[in-house]
Amino acid sequence: MNGARWLPIAACLLALAVLAMAPAVVSPFMTQFLINLFMLAVLAESWNIVGGFTGYASFGNVAFFGVGAYTTGILLTKSGWPLALALPAAGALAMLFAALVGMPILRLKGHYFAIATLGVAETMREVVYNLEITGAGTGLVMPIARTPLLFFYVMLAILVAATLTNWWLSRSRFGYGLVAIREDEDAAAAMGIHTARYKTLAFALSGAFAGLAGGVFAYWITFIDPDGVFKVTMTIQMIIMAVFGGAGTIFGPLLGALVLASVSELLSTQLVTLAEVFNGLVVILVVLFMPKGLSDVIRRRSFRLRDVARNFREYRI
Amino acid sequence: MLLLQVLINGILLGGLYGIMALGMSLIWGVMNIVNIAHGALIMLGAYLTYWLFTLWGWDPFLSLPLTIALLFVYGYCIQRFLLNLIVRAQLFLTLLITFGVEVVMVNLARIAWSSDLRQVTPAYAGANFAVAGLTVPYVRLWVFVTTVILSVVFLLVLEKTRLGRAIRATSEELRAARLTGIPVAHIYAVTFGLGAALAGAAGGLWGMLFPITPIMGGGLTLKSFVVAVLGGLGTMMGAIVGGLVLGLAESFTATYLGPTYPNAISFGLLVLILIFRPTGILGRRGAA
Amino acid sequence: MPILEARLVTKKFGGLAAVSDISFDLGEGEILGLIGPNGSGKTTLVNVICGALPRTAGNVRFKGGELMGLPTHEISRLGVSRTFQVVKPFRNLTVLENVMVGALFGKTGGARDLGTARREAEAVLEFVALAHRARAQADGLNVPERKRMELARALAMRPTVLFLDEVMAGLNSAEIDAAVALIKKIRGRGVSLIVIEHVMKAIRSLSDRIMVLFHGEKLTEGPPDDVLNNPEVVAAYLGRRYAERARA
Repeated sequence: MNGARWLPIAACLLALAVLAMAPAVVSPFMTQFLINLFMLAVLAESWNIVGGFTGYASFGNVAFFGVGAYTTGILLTKSGWPLALALPAAGALAMLFAALVGMPILRLKGHYFAIATLGVAETMREVVYNLEITGAGTGLVMPIARTPLLFFYVMLAILVAATLTNWWLSRSRFGYGLVAIREDEDAAAAMGIHTARYKTLAFALSGAFAGLAGGVFAYWITFIDPDGVFKVTMTIQMIIMAVFGGAGTIFGPLLGALVLASVSELLSTQLVTLAEVFNGLVVILVVLFMPKGLSDVIRRRSFRLRDVARNFREYRI
Repeated sequence: MLLLQVLINGILLGGLYGIMALGMSLIWGVMNIVNIAHGALIMLGAYLTYWLFTLWGWDPFLSLPLTIALLFVYGYCIQRFLLNLIVRAQLFLTLLITFGVEVVMVNLARIAWSSDLRQVTPAYAGANFAVAGLTVPYVRLWVFVTTVILSVVFLLVLEKTRLGRAIRATSEELRAARLTGIPVAHIYAVTFGLGAALAGAAGGLWGMLFPITPIMGGGLTLKSFVVAVLGGLGTMMGAIVGGLVLGLAESFTATYLGPTYPNAISFGLLVLILIFRPTGILGRRGAA
Repeated sequence: MPILEARLVTKKFGGLAAVSDISFDLGEGEILGLIGPNGSGKTTLVNVICGALPRTAGNVRFKGGELMGLPTHEISRLGVSRTFQVVKPFRNLTVLENVMVGALFGKTGGARDLGTARREAEAVLEFVALAHRARAQADGLNVPERKRMELARALAMRPTVLFLDEVMAGLNSAEIDAAVALIKKIRGRGVSLIVIEHVMKAIRSLSDRIMVLFHGEKLTEGPPDDVLNNPEVVAAYLGRRYAERARA
């Protein structure tokens, strides 16, 4: 092992240590912002597994977030479970749900897959509206948590796990299988990859992390209702963060989450809807000017108008 | 008797879904763009009609041509100056950019018009007539008649005019259309304009039957998609038939299961159709 | 015992038979040339045997076990690999990474970790003389390089039987000679091959036997010189008129 290989790992550990000590130094408001940032980053990394590595643009990952949120919600309020048990259950149930939904839906491609996932999320919201156990339209109120710092560290831990998972994908047999599927599914199958199983596993993995984030979110925010946790805008945020940062990379989604959470926070102190307008504009601008994402621009250390012009020449009519 | 009433309600609602889906199906079939902003266009049409009615007292049916014209211009510009720039990129990017357009439109609407529920209520809004024990609200009937007229006019334009032929040619074979001198960029913009005009008309009519809000469009985008797929993608008749099917399905579930179920049914239906019959009821073409 | 036995393989699209009642054997270490005019069903036959298309009827046994009905990935795990006529590179990956996918998957018992896969892929790239392009993105390769990468990917899968679908199309004469030498080297490693090719010079010098397809049916089969001089084959390929003139 030489120094150059250890440097990035040391840098990551240092950054992590600084983050872990942050709540002692920064204001409570800042701590809340960080929790939200971690959550968004988990969602971005979760989307990245299926959207970035596997190349299946899911427009319904918020369904897994919602399943996770309601699992914790119900277990905490109705069954009186402690968070230490309810949270893993949220992850597991979201994972199972993603696998079951994924099996039929992942046979679809392109627009059909995208819309089907959007449909799954909307169906879940409507189903939750109509169930008694979920509190229907009125929602669920969680017990008050004793320690707000708990959320900080649990969310951070989930983020670390999600990032490590993406890192593992970038350097494992499983991850190579997913990338091969993204690049050419027929060739991937011809090379011996069990495409259906790989896609379902990726979807389930993505669902597990979104579910865990949802589980923490429910307890942290203390109140959940169908419109709050099955929000289409949340799916949009996941996609923006991953695509803006650079889909299929490890740190791209983190970068995207940081930039978007910060700017949204700044804007939303003025007006919440203005932050959403900004989100929409970012989507449009990213698609137009840097379809491969911010991290690609950073990696190549150049954002040249020539590349933009070339994209336009290639794609316009 | 109840059964018949439910049937009629379903058909009257189905006409509205039909023209929504017609617009979606047109844009999808010709340019291979799934327009996520379709619902936002419907919302815009609804607010235009609402403000014309509230500020100047324009009758919602009479202001419809203006709404249609404005939405056409708006749609034309979006395609010509934005979507045309990346229309040949991978599907994900075109889908994403219309997603961006929808988010911007919806939130600007929230800032401009607040999130309050509004409704277009002309003097005749509450009037019904009864036939053989069935109650038919006038507004619903006229809305249905309007959707039928619009569908017929639209199909005639597409089938019988030079413009319609150019659109169909472009949809069949882009390169060939270009070689024969069809101004493809313009035709694409016109196509999107027509789709937006149909969405706008649907919105204007929607405001007379249901409350309107800036976020009303999200679910309607999905429903338009359901109907377009249900009827078989790219077949215009299919969109109309699909609209009727969805209207009936919702009318029946609302009556026999409860008023909170129709959405769950339509979105569940969407997922099931995609899984089991991606070519739609009338469709023959491949799913890819 | 032959390593691959196809019996009465049939594939219909709608009512149209693209391949009908094809039977053949492939011996161990043999190179079987598969020729026929465009649209005669060569690629369809490969697609059916490799599981990319479901068969309409027939059986294919590999080492005595039935292949038909198995999904594509299981067939390649047994050790039957193929290249695609229209190459399907993983565009956004490097050449090395493309070949690594073959080493990681392919026939059962391959590399489990990236380090091993990388070493195997480097060896294969060396073997097909593409090592100098290992770090290049697959998208940026020229046609001969793409064909070579396609071949390298298939080889990295450690196949027992390998289908090569027009790997020489678009190559110049010197490149064809190199490809022929390379395919002979592959056979030298104990791989049995079925080679689809339009380049007659190459197919004559490569094949132990040649099978000819015409309109989805097997026209004839035998040693290269017999088959290529068979008037029926010449007629099928070049049209009856040309065949008569050649005889006159």
